Amino acid sequence: MILRVLKAALVAGFLAACVAATLQTFLTSPLILQAETYEKAAAPEAHAAGLGGLLHLAHVQHAPSDSADESAWEPSEGFPRIAFTALATLVSGVGYALILAALILAAGRRFDMQTTLRWAIGGFLAASLAPAVGLPPELPGMGGAHLAERQIWWICTAAGTALGLYLITNVRHHAAIGIGILAIVLPHLIGAPHAEAAASDVPAVLAAQFAARSLAVAFAFWATLGLGLGWYWTRQEDRTRSGFLTQAASVTGERKAV
Amino acid sequence: MSTLTNQAYAATPSQRLVAILIAATFGLALVFISGFASPETIHNAAHDWRHSHNFPCH
Repeated sequence: MILRVLKAALVAGFLAACVAATLQTFLTSPLILQAETYEKAAAPEAHAAGLGGLLHLAHVQHAPSDSADESAWEPSEGFPRIAFTALATLVSGVGYALILAALILAAGRRFDMQTTLRWAIGGFLAASLAPAVGLPPELPGMGGAHLAERQIWWICTAAGTALGLYLITNVRHHAAIGIGILAIVLPHLIGAPHAEAAASDVPAVLAAQFAARSLAVAFAFWATLGLGLGWYWTRQEDRTRSGFLTQAASVTGERKAV
Repeated sequence: MSTLTNQAYAATPSQRLVAILIAATFGLALVFISGFASPETIHNAAHDWRHSHNFPCH
């Protein structure tokens, strides 16, 4: 059982990573590189102007990898950077596929492609769309509140939305629907942590384009993940069935011969 | 025959539980490493993916 889950998750994660990494290379990565030019241009100005307050803190906090910390390793520009982005996409893809498979198994659902696609769309809503309502996809150099606070809000929102969607769609009870709606809405009522005065040199058009493209890529990623999971699972089941039938047929044949 | 073939690939409840627990643990660990882990090297390697997929990055 576990081997079948692992194999299906690896295949689904790989397919989703292929689609998402290709789309990212052409849609989002160029915008990240463009935003980094604004970030790097803004950095020396902030230091020169002696802005010790928010702007300086914002830079130190928001760009540890890009310019502040010279000692830390980072992939060099060009192919290595694209390759490491694709690798991270693969790791997340397999991870999300495993979580999706665990949830579908726990709910006792079948692994046909319609079901896995539906659950994957739920994954998109929970882990991509709902957190983006409070914390829109950010380019490097854009302001934000303390990292740990945003990460905690992100995780709570994703978990709350996933729980809410499950309760609303799978438990046919008024109370469950009420609790489900509350679980989805509550993180947004509490509100995402935001920096008080987040200033950025990144043009608004670039940021808006990035947010829209990021969500589009996320949808393609999740849809491929769901379809891949269902497709490979069904394929494995069919193989097991046909293998067993062949075995059973040969045993019957031998008995007849005897 | 159909009962026999169904038994051939159906898992027992304990096998299912083990599969669920292992898949959930590995899955959460992989998403955490690629999306949230703070060591600088991991952050830098996954930087563009974290931005693209809207994980809080910096």
